[in-house]
Amino acid sequence: MSELLKIDNVTINFGGLTAVDSLNMTLTEGNIRALIGPNGAGKSTIFNLVTGIYTPSKGRIIFRGQIINKLPPHKITGRGIARTFQNIRLFSELSVIDNVKIGYHCRSRGSFIDALLRSPAIKREEAHTHERALTCLALMELADKAEEVAGNLSYGEQRRLEIARALATNPALLCLDEPAAGMNPIEKEKLANIIRKIKEMGITIFLVEHDMKFVMNLAEKVTVLDYGKIIASGTPAEVQRNPAVIEAYLGKEVV
Amino acid sequence: MDSLLTNYISPYYIKIFTLVGIYIIIALGLNFISGVTGQLSFGHAAFVSIGAYTAAILTTRLQLPFLPSLLVGGLLAAVVGILLGFPILRLTGDYLGIATLGFGEIVIVVFQNMDITGGTIGLSGIAKNTSLSLVVLVVIFTIWSMYRLENSRFGRALMAIREDEIAANVMGINITAYKIQAFGIGTFFAGIGGGLYAHMIQYLNPTDFGFSRSFEYLTFVVLGGLGSIPGTILGTTVLTLAPEFLRFVAEYRMMIYGALMVIMMIFRPRGLLGGVNLSKKIRALKNKKKTTIPSDAR
Ligand SMILES: Nc1ncnc2c1ncn2[C@@H]1O[C@H](COP(=O)(O)OP(=O)(O)O)[C@@H](O)[C@H]1O
Ligand SMILES: [Mg+2]
Repeated sequence: MSELLKIDNVTINFGGLTAVDSLNMTLTEGNIRALIGPNGAGKSTIFNLVTGIYTPSKGRIIFRGQIINKLPPHKITGRGIARTFQNIRLFSELSVIDNVKIGYHCRSRGSFIDALLRSPAIKREEAHTHERALTCLALMELADKAEEVAGNLSYGEQRRLEIARALATNPALLCLDEPAAGMNPIEKEKLANIIRKIKEMGITIFLVEHDMKFVMNLAEKVTVLDYGKIIASGTPAEVQRNPAVIEAYLGKEVV
Repeated sequence: MDSLLTNYISPYYIKIFTLVGIYIIIALGLNFISGVTGQLSFGHAAFVSIGAYTAAILTTRLQLPFLPSLLVGGLLAAVVGILLGFPILRLTGDYLGIATLGFGEIVIVVFQNMDITGGTIGLSGIAKNTSLSLVVLVVIFTIWSMYRLENSRFGRALMAIREDEIAANVMGINITAYKIQAFGIGTFFAGIGGGLYAHMIQYLNPTDFGFSRSFEYLTFVVLGGLGSIPGTILGTTVLTLAPEFLRFVAEYRMMIYGALMVIMMIFRPRGLLGGVNLSKKIRALKNKKKTTIPSDAR
């Protein structure tokens, strides 16, 4: 299997703080890779680097063989990387389906002149966007909420809507930042199944999760981050036994 | 057409309705920038003045026909809007507000110091080309354009930017490019409104397009509901007619506008009609009727 994303010796500094420190990581196409670690370890920062919100102070990010770390976020999305946010960032006053349609923006066409003229071709494009949005919503079990205002959805539904919106961009790599946060065990189980389904669609998944249990029977490989550095990497079972991981998670005293 | 109307309506009312129409065009332009795209502008009147002076200079000094002059005025306002947009639309919120405010004041000073605009004395002798029927046509065109622009891939991108810039960017939207386009479209309508205004009032003075005028346009939009087309029309109509018919409103106009702005921000920041989806409400009403039929039959 081929390598999809390569984080090559990437560092980012915020003033005096090195949030990510000389990080090397390679994601294999078609896999679920989990990234875990205590709060403040630098997990979300890695997502911000990969999606172009932050530019590395040092190092390169290579996606499908091309350097992307100098591209703005919208171009990176066009290349095939989508994400969700740890702190939900929906277009909360817009309808659920419009949120997902906006995800399809980078795969469709239509200037302001097209908006005014509404040619048959543009009408077809709109109809296609609508279909596509409904498909993504159905996959996330939100089809019946299509016309609701996004901000009125429950917390779990909002998390799923973020995934639906990200899927609409037609990604090769989907980055999920703590998608199970705030969910109850039943919702978590449902989400795990959805993530498996997305994987079966051929989409590679980069999963940040605080909850170690959640990733253990989901990911092929788990990477553990602490203070911006990788402290362990391997199968879930290997990582769970790793003393450095136990220490990072439970603190020195316990070990 | 207007001469026909004067048989039924007094010239005074025709003038007021024409003014309401012109303000609706201008306010819808501002609503597109601030309400739909979420970019605060305190300099909208400056773009109105660019359209007004351009069209007036073309018709008075160059004897060009009115309609092409009007269009050129709109286009020039848009070009200036786009050129200004490049540096300032990277700013957000308060900073953008201050930058647009500064720009608005600069435009006044420039017009005051140019010969072709008549400087501080102003520009007079403009022909009365603007008729109520023309304004009504332009209002209809503006509403139609706004409706189509908002209900499209383009419009969704603008609303996404308003809701959350970072999320919009990550969804593949080129934020700056879209903001600039929105600014260009909004300032185009400001310029068109300006040209119509010039050929109705027949006299232009730079001081008529200062910050207080920009603030008035913003009040129109905020009262009705930022981002709402019917809201903007309602807000503009009410706030334009009120000073004409209520003496005390005319006397304390700016004070009342200021107070209104404060009250709206506290109690109904989304405006009178903001957040109300009229077509959805109507649809819901229709559905209700349908569902009540069986219970009536019972
Ligand atoms: N834009 C920023 N400016 C300054 N510090 C930041 C910024 N983004 C993240 N950080 C810091 O980087 C560290 C890692 O944060 P983050 O990646 O959010 O952690 P995690 O997602 O693993 O909980 C934290 O100490 C955080 O305060
Ligand atoms: Mg985080």
